[in-house]
Amino acid sequence: MNEPDLAALFGAAGVTGWLHATDLRSGREIGLGSDEPLPTASMFKVPLMVEFCRQTDAGLLDPASRVTVGAADRVTGPTGLCAMLDDVTISLRDLGHLMITLSDNTAADALLARVGREEVNAMLDGFGLRETRVRQSCRDIYESMAEDAGHGWPYLDPEDVARLRVLDPPRANSATPRETTTLFGLIWRDQAASAESCAWMRNVLNLQVWPHRLASGFPYDDVEVSGKTGTLPTLRNEAGVIEYPDGGQYAVAVFTRSVSTALNQPRADAVIGTAARMAVDHLRR
Amino acid sequence: MDLVRHLRYFTVVAEELHFGNAAIRLGMAQPPLSQRIKRLEEELGVRLFDRSARQVRLTEAGRLLVGEAREIVARADRLRELVRHGEGRTLKLGVPPDLAAAVIAALVEGFRANNPDVRLTPAEIWTADQVAALTEGAIDVGIVRHPISAPGLRFGQVLVQPQGVLLAEGDPLAVAGEVHLADLAGRELLMPPKEGEPGLHAATLAECRRHGYVPAQVHQGAGLGLVLAGAAVAFGARMDHPGIVWRPLLGSPISSRVSTAWRVETDAVAGFSAVAVRTLKESAGMTDEAAAPVRHISRRPGMLA
Repeated sequence: MNEPDLAALFGAAGVTGWLHATDLRSGREIGLGSDEPLPTASMFKVPLMVEFCRQTDAGLLDPASRVTVGAADRVTGPTGLCAMLDDVTISLRDLGHLMITLSDNTAADALLARVGREEVNAMLDGFGLRETRVRQSCRDIYESMAEDAGHGWPYLDPEDVARLRVLDPPRANSATPRETTTLFGLIWRDQAASAESCAWMRNVLNLQVWPHRLASGFPYDDVEVSGKTGTLPTLRNEAGVIEYPDGGQYAVAVFTRSVSTALNQPRADAVIGTAARMAVDHLRR
Repeated sequence: MDLVRHLRYFTVVAEELHFGNAAIRLGMAQPPLSQRIKRLEEELGVRLFDRSARQVRLTEAGRLLVGEAREIVARADRLRELVRHGEGRTLKLGVPPDLAAAVIAALVEGFRANNPDVRLTPAEIWTADQVAALTEGAIDVGIVRHPISAPGLRFGQVLVQPQGVLLAEGDPLAVAGEVHLADLAGRELLMPPKEGEPGLHAATLAECRRHGYVPAQVHQGAGLGLVLAGAAVAFGARMDHPGIVWRPLLGSPISSRVSTAWRVETDAVAGFSAVAVRTLKESAGMTDEAAAPVRHISRRPGMLA
């Protein structure tokens, strides 16, 4: 069976796309630019979650211990603690829940402050994921964009966007499509952390609220889509695992960059789902 | 009047206690059935049913008669059976008209190999009509679709076969490796006649509805012309047909479930039933009925938001 023409599919949606998909049972795979280091944006919250779990498994962190997130901790962002007005006292694992399900930037930075950036990267090294790097917190991401552009959000001028460090893999949070599906495979196979922690991670990824990217390619009651998005100017990503009613499990990572700097591009979001569907359909043939 | 025939009608109404249901079982319309029961009552000079209440009830006389009537009907059947044995042994078989030609051929051949002295005469009859034909003795054994409700009939082992979807080769879905029922939205559906396959109709359409596919129109027929023309899709076993593409259905939600059915068990019926199970497994890719898998429903948070 010929591989689907993913490049043409991405092109028709006005984006450049990279993809890696793998059948978690057979190891069969399909890809487009699978080993290209690419900016991950909020998808860095997945390795952060993994390292958080490993530290709780090791007894270094108590997942139920509470922290208070106040005005000084608040980071720019549209959801969760970022958007709230008052101090919140919350457990570490519930910060993790907000960080994944809503992509809550404030929750992510609060967790990153306790887990540690170097610890996350050391964990990634341990799994041989050397292109997957966490270099910036959410606060770093927003501050560097303002510095690079010389003004705050939104960033719609193509020349401003071209200057953003957050979109330059060696200086940004980055990963390759293949390393991203590898990390999801570790979570789905109970190898990323303890079995109990991996089950918690799968549950949280399954409760992510966004329906417009990966999930849009599988609009069926009996297909599970678990994942994590990543979004920055012209960048739309999502990676996750698709589970079919017959037990098939497919890790898929899709990275895109749009030509247009417009913020609302439903076709660019939807092509992430369409491409993932074509890739999974190919793996099932 | 044909007393045995009238007693047969009476026993079926007595079992169903519902003239409509009994008529369906007998493969006839309700008014003639009611008329015949009335004639039987006139003949015997008693009322057999109390029709005044919301539900039909047997009268005392009816209750007394029902056991005897069954006995007489069974004896009459046995008589026919004996005569049939005497006249060179044929086995009259009913098969659904949409059963693949190759499968029917394999059934006939398989039976002949094992029962060389019995002549098998197959006829294409939809399930509902087979029920009537079995009840009346017009056929000896049938291959029927489930779910089926037919008190008085006995069934062989139920075999299942997951169905795929048949699409015109120009259908945009034909490029996909597999198709979800929800993907079929906007397409009309071709099915066997509802009157002939009421159980299949109800079960299939309910499953479609559950999975997000409500066909704008359900066409009834056995040919594939509408599919070829791109006017409808159909469910069926994997097949090669020029201009038509078969694709598996994601999650295998639609299954064909069949078994043999008979009313009076004879050696020939039992022999055919065994051959049918073997042939349907080997030639039609059917498998033993397993427990229905628990349907998984995704918990996407947007569904409750």
